[in-house]
Amino acid sequence: MGKLMMRGISKSFSGVRVLEEVELIVEGGKVVALLGENGAGKSTLMKILTGEYQADAGEIVIDDQVVDIKNVDDAKKHQIGMIHQELNLFPNLSIAENFLIGNEAEYQQSGFIRSSKLNDKVKSILQQVNLQRHPSELVKNLGIGEQQLVEIGKALLQDVKYLVMDEPTAALTESETERLFQIIESLKKNGVGIVYISHRMEELYRIADKVSVLRDGRFIATRDMKTADENELVSMMVGRTVDDRYPKTPSNPGQVLLKAVDVKTPKVKRATLEVRAGEIVGLGGLMGAGRTELVSAFAGVDRIVEGEFEFNGKRTRFKTPKQAIDSGLAFVTEDRKSQGLILPFSVRENMALPTLGLRSRFGFIQSRQERDFTSEVVNKMRIKVASIDQPAGSLSGGNQQKIVIGKWMAQDPVLLILDEPTRGIDVGAKQEIYELMNAFKSQGRGILMISSDLPELMGICDRIYVMHEGEVMGEIKGEEMNNENFMKLATGRKLS
Amino acid sequence: MKTWKIAALSTLAVGVLVSGCGTTGSTSSSNTASNTSSTSGNATTSSSASGKTIGFAVSTLNNPFFVAMQNGVQSEAKKDGLKVTVENGNNDAATQLNQVQDLIQQHVSAILLNPVDSNSLSSAVKLANQANIPVITLDRSVNFGKVATFIASDSVEAGKEAADQLIKALGGKGQVVELQGTIGASSEIDREKGFDQEIATAPGIKVVAKQTANFDRNTALNVMQNILQAHPDINGVFAQNDEMALGALKAIQQSGKKGIDIVGIDGEQEAITDVNNGLIYADIAQQPTQEGILGVDNAVKLINGQSVPKTVSSPLQLVTKGSSFKGF
Amino acid sequence: MNVIKKYRLGPLIGLVLIFIVMSILSNQFLTFSNLRNVALQTTVNALLGVGMTFVILTSGIDLSVGSTLALSAVISSGLMVAHVNVFLACIVGIVVGAAGGALNGLLVSYGRLAPFIVTLGTQQLFRGLTEVYTHGMPIFNLPNSFSNLGTGLIAGIPIPVVIAAVVFIVGWIVLKKTVVGRKIYALGGNEKVAQLAGVKVNRYLVWVYVVAGVLAAFAGLILTSRLGTAEPTAGTGYELDAITAVVLGGTSLVGGEGSIIGTLVGALILGVIDNGLNLLNVNSFWQDAVKGLIILVAILLDRKKN
Repeated sequence: MGKLMMRGISKSFSGVRVLEEVELIVEGGKVVALLGENGAGKSTLMKILTGEYQADAGEIVIDDQVVDIKNVDDAKKHQIGMIHQELNLFPNLSIAENFLIGNEAEYQQSGFIRSSKLNDKVKSILQQVNLQRHPSELVKNLGIGEQQLVEIGKALLQDVKYLVMDEPTAALTESETERLFQIIESLKKNGVGIVYISHRMEELYRIADKVSVLRDGRFIATRDMKTADENELVSMMVGRTVDDRYPKTPSNPGQVLLKAVDVKTPKVKRATLEVRAGEIVGLGGLMGAGRTELVSAFAGVDRIVEGEFEFNGKRTRFKTPKQAIDSGLAFVTEDRKSQGLILPFSVRENMALPTLGLRSRFGFIQSRQERDFTSEVVNKMRIKVASIDQPAGSLSGGNQQKIVIGKWMAQDPVLLILDEPTRGIDVGAKQEIYELMNAFKSQGRGILMISSDLPELMGICDRIYVMHEGEVMGEIKGEEMNNENFMKLATGRKLS
Repeated sequence: MKTWKIAALSTLAVGVLVSGCGTTGSTSSSNTASNTSSTSGNATTSSSASGKTIGFAVSTLNNPFFVAMQNGVQSEAKKDGLKVTVENGNNDAATQLNQVQDLIQQHVSAILLNPVDSNSLSSAVKLANQANIPVITLDRSVNFGKVATFIASDSVEAGKEAADQLIKALGGKGQVVELQGTIGASSEIDREKGFDQEIATAPGIKVVAKQTANFDRNTALNVMQNILQAHPDINGVFAQNDEMALGALKAIQQSGKKGIDIVGIDGEQEAITDVNNGLIYADIAQQPTQEGILGVDNAVKLINGQSVPKTVSSPLQLVTKGSSFKGF
Repeated sequence: MNVIKKYRLGPLIGLVLIFIVMSILSNQFLTFSNLRNVALQTTVNALLGVGMTFVILTSGIDLSVGSTLALSAVISSGLMVAHVNVFLACIVGIVVGAAGGALNGLLVSYGRLAPFIVTLGTQQLFRGLTEVYTHGMPIFNLPNSFSNLGTGLIAGIPIPVVIAAVVFIVGWIVLKKTVVGRKIYALGGNEKVAQLAGVKVNRYLVWVYVVAGVLAAFAGLILTSRLGTAEPTAGTGYELDAITAVVLGGTSLVGGEGSIIGTLVGALILGVIDNGLNLLNVNSFWQDAVKGLIILVAILLDRKKN
């Protein structure tokens, strides 16, 4: 079995140390989990391994040989592959064409693509990752989870010895995740060494053999995963002790804020649910169950075709997002980069956008008010920014998400809809978002939250509605709130 | 998104409109007053041509010059009892090629072609040759293919004539400016050639600035303004077409300078008016209407089986203050 | 260095460099009358550039401004020649520009068509209507009172320059200081986010194209009054100059980023180059190449600084 070591790796960006003498050992046939908060240096370390960056100091050793990895091609030569967290796919190309890019040499003859050879290979890999799609389908027509599987398939195509997986399950459903774990098992059997980055602790216990922790660009420790204590790991990551990962506060349900009875939308078959003041209600289900589609219709992004919808005691239907906003319903969308933030805009401009009208006079923006308002929200939400004029695109995922939530909370809505609010952000930032949600709830307002992270959903929500194929199957709460009941509803069965 | 935008923009940038009333360099020495007179030919009442249709493929109607040519064609054809199918090529060679093909398809009796481009339209002429339809080229000719006759005024001669007028105006002494047309256009090359040769014969006259204004009036206004800044003491301006002469005139008027003599080429109505008002010293007028008339006359001859000369020079007309020429 | 980055001074530095080089090469360059000429010659492109900035900020493009300029100019001039009150004729021209812009805007927003294609189409349409209206002939003998607009001075400054300056200041205020401006940036930065934040996306899109059309009409009136003649070919290719000015000024073709001051600087760079090439009597064969080179250097300067 092979062995890869990174030793004494240091790296600075324009004078700022991001890695300091970090080490990491990856053994063939084993999975090493790499833990750390966002900004701890995990991605930088992995980019050095895969040739995207060059280390300032330190060395990479494969099987006792010091190797020089100057670029992505060198990494390929040493059979090191990576599955990125951000999908690196061409949406307008087919699955097969996406596989082709970067592997042209093998599937071409005199400049022409050898389609049948490529398609055969792609088919076998799609089977391996259990993606039932034809190689000629365009990637943009696949769901996010399916795209993630294509990304994994691409790595398999390259016959790697060492594979880095950066948050591979962030967008996967339960069953897709299960399938991924099986793929990982078979890779392990074939002697592939895997570096696995994830914020989901439960996953790590299932598949990782070792765990290495980074904090603030320094190497903290490596432990055997089996015997590692979760709270200790979290403490190592955040540098302080964390008592409770999911701080749930008692619920105190008040009046009904949102009520939907047999609601039908172009994409949702039937949904009945209600959210009351002073509670956090979850909306769960497998990928593609229609959760985002349902709340989009509530918020005026999509439309309700049939059924009864009441908001804040009034029967209504929001035709535009603006009507929903004006009535006190704020919708924090799933994909913060494409739907939540204007990346080149500063923190201040992003924050002020939905409430521009409140801070203007005769159409002129009152910049003093705008600055004060932004500073206030930034402080209250503990968003780490150098300046409120910093572009939002330059912030970490957790801070970006806080800006998105902050800009909507600042509108004083009575109901907040959060779609995957903690996806891809680190433990510390998650905690802070939970605290914000709890504070919002304690003010007697309501939250409807979508999440694919089941422990989070159960840990934070007072009740959970579960969807299956465009239908709300039922509700679990209190004692009923467990994995088994959830999966029953999520797969279309009734609770007994 | 970004990339296609840029790619498409650069493609657009290539399609810059080139105007100006060009003639190819047929340096045939036959001068202004040769073969044909301005009155229409003797075949006017011929019954064999009457009722037939001829095609007129014009490079553009976005320019008074060609509009006048069209008027000449239509009025003369009416007189002769011919029908005319007019095709406007919009300065695009591919469009014009298609239009000529359409004319061939309609079996017109003759084609009057004012080509967008001398090379590209050669193939159109060859197609007409194959279909045995005679082709007469107007103002510009083509490089290949059989052309029955080519009717144009002589651009080198026009340039010479303009130089003579400027020499006369300045009494053989002074500083002059030359405003060039679109660089590379045949009319620009030939008018410049004639002017430069002739002006060199007057040792007292110096060309102090030679700048392009793309045959465009607004460009000429700006360019002339700038030249006046650099050379406040000039005495004369040669503009290779009237549009530029008119732009230069505005610049001079707005600068408040007096006593600068302008000579232009083309015979555009507005310029002729200014000549008669003493604002422009002289204009070497082409007669696009005549070119059109001559084209139809020669077409009639061809239809009647008569022979026509290889080239016909459309007359140039010197216009100075008080002349009766009206312009086009 | 940081100051250059923060305030995007790259284009301005480029302009200053060109200024310095020109002053050394020509003793005529840095005179009041010449700088007044440069300002005057830049007004048309500058006005088109302001409209183009609005459009490009929303990640659109308007290729029809040159044709809009011509159409509104010939219609106004036609009315003046027919002895319609000069002021009224100008208003009609501006309304024509606004209507052309509204057509673009409606097709882009409610019609969900790509701006590039829409305005490529209307570019032809408006040019064609211009030819139909004029039969390809220029319209001249315009009233003197109208010519004063293009040739008159206010306190020694040409009236067109004063108009352009006012348009720039208003444009700058709208984009930087008002809710409307912020929403235009937001729209170009990320249409989806803007829509979710309650911006009436379609309505704003229509308005930016109307602004571009109105300013094209302004430019057409100024051009016409300077020449005393409305030509059917006027403004051909001007859209590209306007786009060049906008891009030179650092505005992103993707939208959401850029400034109107940048556009002013970009337009001035182009104007100074044209003026300088004439002053120095640079050989006509070389002019396009030199101009292209200077533009590329200016853009590189900007990218490097950022």
